[in-house]
Amino acid sequence: MVDYLWNTQSPLQKALVPGCHGATGAHPGVTLREVRDIVLVQVMARRGKAAETAKAAKKLFGVEAPATPKAVIGKTATLVWSGPDQFTVIAPRTDEASQLAAMAQAFTGSASLSDQSDGRCLIRVSGARARDAIAKFSSLDLHDSVFPVGTAANTSVDHTAVNFWREANGTDGHPVYNMLVFTSFSDSLWHTIVDSSLEYGVEASSAKAA
Amino acid sequence: MRIACPFCGERENGEFTYLGDASPKRPNFAADSGESPERVEDAFYDYVYLRDNVAGFMREYWYHGGGCRSWLIAERNTVTHEFRSVIAAPGVGAANPVQAGE
Ligand SMILES: [Zn+2]
Repeated sequence: MVDYLWNTQSPLQKALVPGCHGATGAHPGVTLREVRDIVLVQVMARRGKAAETAKAAKKLFGVEAPATPKAVIGKTATLVWSGPDQFTVIAPRTDEASQLAAMAQAFTGSASLSDQSDGRCLIRVSGARARDAIAKFSSLDLHDSVFPVGTAANTSVDHTAVNFWREANGTDGHPVYNMLVFTSFSDSLWHTIVDSSLEYGVEASSAKAA
Repeated sequence: MRIACPFCGERENGEFTYLGDASPKRPNFAADSGESPERVEDAFYDYVYLRDNVAGFMREYWYHGGGCRSWLIAERNTVTHEFRSVIAAPGVGAANPVQAGE
């Protein structure tokens, strides 16, 4: 009998080469980071239960769940709009079982939950030229006047669904964008982002969610 | 062509899929209504197969599969591609009940 060994590994195991790539300069124009160890749960209000779902979210996370394409930061998680009466909960993975249990309890009877923690890959793109790099493969208008901090969008990149949102600017003052993609497409998307960023210089790494 | 999704805002048409005329309503005969089989059959034939070939504005189903995954109803001019309105189809989200025949 064959023994199978199942090892947990990042979907970017091959694609992610840590370090600086492309143009060299004082500062890389784009910083690219795989954010690992996340807990990700899709929350969809059941028919006629939108108000109850919003109430349960407020109680659990201390913030109003987004009713429009926005990302809001709650006590223990970020809530990202993902469609009418639905949103995605993203949190650093601490004790996954108890994190999921707390949500299951909070939304009993009001919403349906779907654990996507290992189904998606979170990629964070930031830096002075992040917007220029993203503009090459996304049709979203990311101008500050249209896409300020806290804006979210469900969109397609190369026919692949991407949950996209902008968080607070980095300590360097430059914008920070998050892209959530199906794990099986993350390799392809990562290459697309790197290729789009090479002319600005790109620094690639991975980090645990915090 | 860009389509203004009522949930997501204006997006490129590549994010959307076209279904067709949103006007036909599914015939809704009660099982014991006593309608003749011919009339029921005619009504379903009309609903399933017969479509108007509109030159001008028509109500159409579009699906925002590359975005919020909602069904939408758009009023589009088939001659000029002008969109007059785009609204959520009945039943989208958790709040709206599905209407019979939609
Ligand atoms: Zn949409």
